[in-house]
Amino acid sequence: MAVPIMKQGDVLIASLQEALTDRALIQLRDELSERVGRFRCRAVIIDVTALDVVDSFASRTIRGIAYTAKLRGARTVVVGIQPDVAFAMVELGLTLDGVDTALDLEEGLALAGVVIRGGRSDAR
Amino acid sequence: MADLKQARIAQLLPHEMEIDDEEIARRKEFLEFRDEDAEVLRGLGEIARKYAEPVIEEFYRHILSFQETKAFFRDPKVLERVKRLQKEYFLRLTEGDYGREYVADRLKIGTVHERINLAPKWYLGMYSHYLRLVANRLLEAFPNEPARAFSSFLTLTKLVFLDIGLAVDTYLYARESTMRKQQEAIRELSTPVLQIRDRLLLLPIIGIIDTHRARLITDGLLHSIRDTRAKVVVMDVTGVATIDTKVANHLIQTVTAARLMGAYVIVTGLSSDVAQALVGLGLDLAKLNTAGDLQGGIEEAERLLGYRIVRGAEVAPTSPE
Repeated sequence: MAVPIMKQGDVLIASLQEALTDRALIQLRDELSERVGRFRCRAVIIDVTALDVVDSFASRTIRGIAYTAKLRGARTVVVGIQPDVAFAMVELGLTLDGVDTALDLEEGLALAGVVIRGGRSDAR
Repeated sequence: MADLKQARIAQLLPHEMEIDDEEIARRKEFLEFRDEDAEVLRGLGEIARKYAEPVIEEFYRHILSFQETKAFFRDPKVLERVKRLQKEYFLRLTEGDYGREYVADRLKIGTVHERINLAPKWYLGMYSHYLRLVANRLLEAFPNEPARAFSSFLTLTKLVFLDIGLAVDTYLYARESTMRKQQEAIRELSTPVLQIRDRLLLLPIIGIIDTHRARLITDGLLHSIRDTRAKVVVMDVTGVATIDTKVANHLIQTVTAARLMGAYVIVTGLSSDVAQALVGLGLDLAKLNTAGDLQGGIEEAERLLGYRIVRGAEVAPTSPE
């Protein structure tokens, strides 16, 4: 299943609804990287609220997305990691080093510097 | 009422201690206590009935001649009751049926001894005395057959050691369950997560951190972060006396897990000793954000959250704006 990618201003939001296959993850990575350039996006938000497990491949891919997006000029924020998932990830040593995290989508948007109050912020 | 409760606990005991029929059989096997042994003991029934009174009397004379053991029998009524029970036990030894019920009885006795705080040294000493008394009576009962007296005594020893084993196990079991309960209580008491401002949590850690507790602390913290939507956590370790590699790793894990949920953790109260120990362990400390003491940590957290703390007196003249 492909992950829907939404565009909110100059932020891309990918909301993961279920544990993805490796192939779907790679597809998501390529798609996001391409769109960051096409839409000249400032930030990418990956919402994992619905996931109850994040394995090492998913974790590595998310980090890959973050680094790729950074090279293309956008900042990545992972939001909505649940307590149990966070604990399991730490135990497995999946610490998402160098990737910004936030509690939920709202916090993530705030971190990405988007103020949702009628339109675009100062960027352009 | 209390007796009823005690009785119920005693009934559950073999189950809790995992002493089932198989276990009983295995214990007997190891002691080489066989059916013919039970038969031999049954054959001693008459002698037991004959000598019960004098043996018990002598046994208690010995017990009462020591301050430490006498202390358990201050009340004459208790002494009477215990003597009666002791006599029952004495006769029970030669009844030939040493199954589940017998074992349950032994376990019950063990619990009683543990509850009244009769230390195993006295219990074992009493048993030794008891055995010697019985040995003498056996020699007396078979004046012309010392070999038979001896083998009967050896058979009895097997059974007595089964009993001792069960009683000692109950001691250990009772102590262990007390310890478990206390640890549980300590754990429950010692992992609070406190909200001190909107979106700011305080996590004071006190005492010894083991893997289990570290897990509870982390778990409690992560759920609190979600529930209170906390952005900053001040983790105070002033109350942690020593930190080894394991504990340090637990702390780093807690900090990392909180970060994954988008919270920023400030560690405060690392004493000079602890700080030096951490450096000495050569751990990756780059991930730890620290402040000197709790006050410093809270000030830093407030700054991050955009709070500005101003004394009431200073702000008063401009406040009605």
